[in-house]
Amino acid sequence: MPDKPKLDFSLRLIKRFCKEELVEEIQGNLMEYRQLLAQNNLVSRLKYWYQVLYYFHPSFLQIFKLKNKGPMFIFNPKVAVRNLIRHRSTTIISLLGFVVGLTSVIFLYFYIENELNVDAFHAEKDKIYRVIRLSENNNTGDIRPVSPTSGPYAEALVNDFPETVQSTNRVLFERGLITYGEKSFYEEDIIFADPNFFSFFSYPLKAGNPERVLSGANDMVISQRIAKKYFGEEDPIGKTLDIDAGAYKYTVTGVFDDIPNKTHLQFDMVCSMALFDSFEWFSVWYNHGLNTYLKVNTPEEAEYLESQFPSFMDKYMGEHFERFDAKWGLELEPLNELYFNNIAFEFPEVKHGNRTNIVTLGSIAVAILFIACFNYINLSIAQSYKRAKEVSVRKVLGVEKKRLIAQFLGESIFILLVSIVVAVFLSELLRNSFNRFFDLNVVFDWLNPLVISFFIILLIVIVLSSGLYPALLLSSFNPLNVFKTGKPTLGKNVFVRKGLVILQFAMSIFLMVATMLIFLQLNYIKNRDLGFDDEAVLIVESNNSPIDENFETFKNQLRTSTYVKSVTSASGEPGGYHDNAGFDIQGVDEPVQMYTVFTDTEYMETFNILIIAGRSFNREITSDRTSSIMINESALTATGLTAEEVIGRKIEGSFWDLDHRIIGVFQDYNFKGLKSEIEPMAIITNQDVRVFAIKIDAHNMGKSIEEVERIFKGIAPDYPMTSRFLDESISLQYEEEDKQARIFSGFALLSIVLACMGIFGLATFSAHQRQKELSIRKVLGASVRQVILLISKEFLILVAISSTIAVPFVFYFMSGWLDSFAYRIELFDNWSLFVLGGIFTAIIAFATIGAKTYKTAASNPSDIIRDE
Amino acid sequence: MGKNAIGEFEELVLLTVLILQEEAYILKIKEELVNQANRKSAMGALHITLSRLEKKDLLKSSLGRATTERGGRRKRIYELTATGKAALTEVKETRNSMWSNVPDFALKFVYAG
Repeated sequence: MPDKPKLDFSLRLIKRFCKEELVEEIQGNLMEYRQLLAQNNLVSRLKYWYQVLYYFHPSFLQIFKLKNKGPMFIFNPKVAVRNLIRHRSTTIISLLGFVVGLTSVIFLYFYIENELNVDAFHAEKDKIYRVIRLSENNNTGDIRPVSPTSGPYAEALVNDFPETVQSTNRVLFERGLITYGEKSFYEEDIIFADPNFFSFFSYPLKAGNPERVLSGANDMVISQRIAKKYFGEEDPIGKTLDIDAGAYKYTVTGVFDDIPNKTHLQFDMVCSMALFDSFEWFSVWYNHGLNTYLKVNTPEEAEYLESQFPSFMDKYMGEHFERFDAKWGLELEPLNELYFNNIAFEFPEVKHGNRTNIVTLGSIAVAILFIACFNYINLSIAQSYKRAKEVSVRKVLGVEKKRLIAQFLGESIFILLVSIVVAVFLSELLRNSFNRFFDLNVVFDWLNPLVISFFIILLIVIVLSSGLYPALLLSSFNPLNVFKTGKPTLGKNVFVRKGLVILQFAMSIFLMVATMLIFLQLNYIKNRDLGFDDEAVLIVESNNSPIDENFETFKNQLRTSTYVKSVTSASGEPGGYHDNAGFDIQGVDEPVQMYTVFTDTEYMETFNILIIAGRSFNREITSDRTSSIMINESALTATGLTAEEVIGRKIEGSFWDLDHRIIGVFQDYNFKGLKSEIEPMAIITNQDVRVFAIKIDAHNMGKSIEEVERIFKGIAPDYPMTSRFLDESISLQYEEEDKQARIFSGFALLSIVLACMGIFGLATFSAHQRQKELSIRKVLGASVRQVILLISKEFLILVAISSTIAVPFVFYFMSGWLDSFAYRIELFDNWSLFVLGGIFTAIIAFATIGAKTYKTAASNPSDIIRDE
Repeated sequence: MGKNAIGEFEELVLLTVLILQEEAYILKIKEELVNQANRKSAMGALHITLSRLEKKDLLKSSLGRATTERGGRRKRIYELTATGKAALTEVKETRNSMWSNVPDFALKFVYAG
């Protein structure tokens, strides 16, 4: 052909893959066929490609021969598979190692990926900010970021900065009794939000228009779960749900997908905010209790906004600040950072992640993978002795070094590919149990291109790190040497091998000791005396108006029961909610910042709090019921007075118009749990009923709860009773740490198993190599035990070195972790753990090696030596 | 039917080649198969059958002219060999003799039944 126009893709494919003698004809056929099709639409293109692809039938394809490369000299899958089967035990160990390693990496990768992508689905996530208040402590000048803002912020922000603030949204959390016909449940995750909620955020709607679903004052959007719960298979749109026994009625206008773990807001139903706008208290600037979000176009604009906030606050709150001698500023928290941000006080509480956890788990994943890789490297090196002859023969026959490398790398890739396929299946299989065991909700999203590229890169890294060294080593044997001595000369790799074993065990010991320390610390916290009695105390929430209005009747009826020892109502129980405010104490210049409990006269008795000066509340004294106050030791220290001086003084709280007198001082108790230090605190008699704490008969728990519930139902028959035991809810505070400990221990165990598998393989090899030596030793009178010890010794030394390396790391990292606790164990007091970790590892290693070497050691020397 | 056994599709292909004479190249064969026997087949599939028949020595082929619609590429013209013709005839005769042995009423029952 004289002129050669550029062939189109299909024809080039044909030329590349089909038999040379057929190319001309096939190309001709296809070109003519295309002309016949006339039209150039999708259908005819598909038809054309169908014809093209049919030519990829094997009978048309070229036989691929790599020119000048004999089959023996390139990667030969058959040889690879034969080799792997011949060395069954090492293959299985490498495979198991990689499978376990990769499976854990898959789990941890998705866990971390899930965590990092919280709230990433919002279309305008970079523009959304949450308004945070910076409350200033008068005593110390400390600035605490707190999340709750109040109703008027949003509108004022839009009015004052119309060019910067694009839109705002307020979110308020509520709980309530939801009724539909016969079905009635107490729902915890209801939110009230401005009408633009679904266009402001990007929560996907199953039904309804995001712009309009909340436009009516009584509109409500519910999750699929709720829709199913109340309406079953019926269409929920247009149905009406009652809140709080008919007090409010809302019409369902939309349904959203269940909110998974992917977002900081956890809610089941969204109602229109209109109801709250009608309340007078809602327009008061200092009635804080909701989240205000806003949208600005650029981070620069957010910065500009922040610079304007001081004057903004002065404009609206200046008078209030002056009157109460309090002050707070504002700040914008980007939505991207919200999930991992630590806010000192949050109400409503949103879901947060823990960055330290992520880093820790990421490092564990890497460690496990390293251990698996090291196993493979070590086993391959050990293998190399056995394959020395094969390699040498190939070399003598003229195989180039790089082709040998290709063969060995190919074998590594083969093992890895098998492992990853198994690991993917295994992780899918175990996903549910994994989520349940660790109490997580990890979603696997395999098809994400990022995920795919991550795993491809991971495989390449593993192949390079674990396949390259053995490949280079194996291909570098000197055939002459091998044939002469029957053994390759392996000089420096003894260090490599031992180094790898040391690293493996150092990681395992690190994880093990760290795990033990975590458990010890948690145990310490859980068993520490909190300073109050939390046993057999039932906390009942006052979550409905009948109980709210008749709380005295409720308490009095409870008191008559023989199952109830004592009962108190309060703003919060120990370990629960405590507000914080500044108080003016008569004769003290500076106001004292104190945490508060508003309660009745029975609080001290119910929780068995120790009085150290003055007297406790007494129901018989009228003033005690409404205007007495008790402070803790820390508060006493903060006033700088003695107990005798402080008793009888008047106290004034700036925010609550208090006029109370101090009647006593009680011993410090951990009202916030053991994660934080005890701070100044006041217990104030005042009517506030958020919770009831009921001390019940510890010997008749079941009956007592029934009795409480009976009395509750007598007053509020329409409402379910929400109750919990105080000791249980306090230990729930450590849920996060418990979860961490469980994950840690699980993976620590895995890493030890992996490391032992590696050492098992090495011991096998070592025993085999030294068979003759050992037999001769036996002939000369060594016992089986001595022989085992001989082999074990060299590994035990490695374990000893590993512990020495691991100890400083454990020390460094764990003291960092322990620092997050106010009450912690001392590392030096627990030095025995470090020794224990080493010894434990040594025992496991010894058992593994012993089991393997016993066979060699016990075998009859004559069987082995006679071959010579 | 002896060693020259041919399948049903092979028989159709051979007949088509016979009908088309000098015009018997793959696209025409494909077209004719659709027109005459309502049999659609991909060129690749047809090509496989043609090569098989060639291998059985029932067909022979030669490269013909190049045309512009084929981008200057030559086409392969197929032609029946003597063996091919014999095989076709044998098939036809076998069928004819079998048909003549079918009782008249048997076919009617097929329709009735």
